[in-house]
Amino acid sequence: MSEARLDRKPAPDVGGAQEELLHERASATPMRERAERAHVDVDTSAIAGAETLPAVSAPLRSLQEWFAAVVTFPASLDDGSAMAEWPVERVLTRGPQLSARERLGVYHYAYRARLVECLIDDYPGLNYAIGEDAFDALAGAYIVRHPSRHPSLNGYGQHLASFVRDEYVTEAFSTSFAHDLARLEWALVEVLHAAAAPTLSLEALQAVPPTQWAGARLPKADTLRLLRFTHPVNAFFQAFRHDKSPTIPSPEPSVTAVYRHGWTLWRMDLTPAMARVLEALFAGATLGEALGKIETDESDEASVEEASRNVMAWFREWVSGGFFGRIDVGG
Amino acid sequence: MINRWKLPDLGVGLGLRTVHYRSILEHSPPVGWFEIISENYMHTAGKPLYYLDRIAEQYPLVMHGVSMSIGGTDPLDRDYLGELKKLRDRVQARWVSDHLCWTGVAGKNTHDLLPMPYTEESLAHVVQRVREVQDFLDGPIALENPSTYVEFRASTMTEWEFLGRLAKEADCGILLDVNNVFVSSFNHGFDPNDYLAGIPWDRVVQFHVAGHTNNGTHAVDTHIGPVIDDVWRLLGKARAQAKSSILLEWDAEIPTFEETWAEALRAREFVADLGELGEQAKTPEVTS
Repeated sequence: MSEARLDRKPAPDVGGAQEELLHERASATPMRERAERAHVDVDTSAIAGAETLPAVSAPLRSLQEWFAAVVTFPASLDDGSAMAEWPVERVLTRGPQLSARERLGVYHYAYRARLVECLIDDYPGLNYAIGEDAFDALAGAYIVRHPSRHPSLNGYGQHLASFVRDEYVTEAFSTSFAHDLARLEWALVEVLHAAAAPTLSLEALQAVPPTQWAGARLPKADTLRLLRFTHPVNAFFQAFRHDKSPTIPSPEPSVTAVYRHGWTLWRMDLTPAMARVLEALFAGATLGEALGKIETDESDEASVEEASRNVMAWFREWVSGGFFGRIDVGG
Repeated sequence: MINRWKLPDLGVGLGLRTVHYRSILEHSPPVGWFEIISENYMHTAGKPLYYLDRIAEQYPLVMHGVSMSIGGTDPLDRDYLGELKKLRDRVQARWVSDHLCWTGVAGKNTHDLLPMPYTEESLAHVVQRVREVQDFLDGPIALENPSTYVEFRASTMTEWEFLGRLAKEADCGILLDVNNVFVSSFNHGFDPNDYLAGIPWDRVVQFHVAGHTNNGTHAVDTHIGPVIDDVWRLLGKARAQAKSSILLEWDAEIPTFEETWAEALRAREFVADLGELGEQAKTPEVTS
């Protein structure tokens, strides 16, 4: 277990890139500040020839299908144009200074750039971890596989973790680490957007007579995610947040709670014993059953001792953090 | 001229941006109103709405969307419109706007404001869809002229003719973005004064100003940096025709709230009748 993981102090996930989760990603601002002339590597005499051909006069639907096919084409605009029904020059006019193809290149560039930026907003740690070039390649492949079909970009990156694990083939980075980190970062997005709902208070917990604790159930709050990883990704992410330039760690199991409390997002690593208790509770076990898990599942004396010594402190911390939606007693 | 719906002149406002949330809530600056990007507060139930509700308690809000795809040929997205209506009612938005554009086809959203061919077929299509949306929302919407980078050979009319006829035939409002007029005029080689001359001013309910980036060969509507004087002057000419609310958009490399607001208040240098309105419009309810 790494030293960073032993320091279980919950970390508020505020400032820096976190605030960017509220970025105006749906903004009307086009991603064109870096727009350059579309690379044109075609026979210019062919373009001139196309300009003299009759303008395409087609139904609006057909023009839109053509336009979308060209500007969302993953390779170059010229390749997209070559695949399309009409040459660009038959559909669009030349401008005062740019050819029709160069003008359309502004949209071709913007389509990909906007979605890549959205993914960087949601996955800043992964972008750092694998490097900008590898991330750009991953994002490009993701955009082809998962074009947006929604009015909002808030959920656009939701498939990135499964995509990198199940479909993306690369030797540029460890896809199992990337999968872990993407899950952690997406959990932050999900928790940010989760509906506010009452959570169990310490007062409500303390109002339950001790005789009823063993039979009590503590369902999970909607603003919490409990994640098991094959790498210590939270420690990596924490170091990234603090600009400590972490390197990708070796595989080592970890469990992290990501939760929102008081409109602040938090991340907290859990010991194996804590994770077993919480997982059992969230699966519907009673408190008595969940605590019994530690003793029956493992011949891990350290965990048993840890639980018996700290269980009250754990619950105070978890309830204070808004881990539970409520407490159900008896029945 | 006051717009035909008597939508209020809210004075000078700012596009609401997350980096300014804390400053706004801590200092309650005397901004006339804020415009929100509708989609940033749709399909979320969490933190964005928490901030929005607090700001809506203090300021008039207007909703500005980017995903209605009013010019699109896929069916109108009723779920989207339902969410839009819910948000409008939640924050008591004074009006709702979007863009004269389409955003995708066959279910795929490019999240861009894609240009229309300005033809009779397009016009009839958009008029019909605007009417449907206005029926659904039970009120007028305003459509903004986007910056464009291409023109269709199939077009049979100018953008301003199209926009003017659309506003009259669909009975909708115009959100006139004078920066976009300037950017498109540079990209397509028309005179922005011709554009203004074609606008039916009784339909104009709002103005946008913003910075843009001129790459030499083409201008790009980046919403970065201060507004250039040519654009402010266009605003002055336009505002002389329609006494409508003015809004500054600043979306990238956003400075402090104070700097952004100071830029918005430059409107007073170019708009003759604005006076101190921008700083007094905190409670802009129109009384008669």
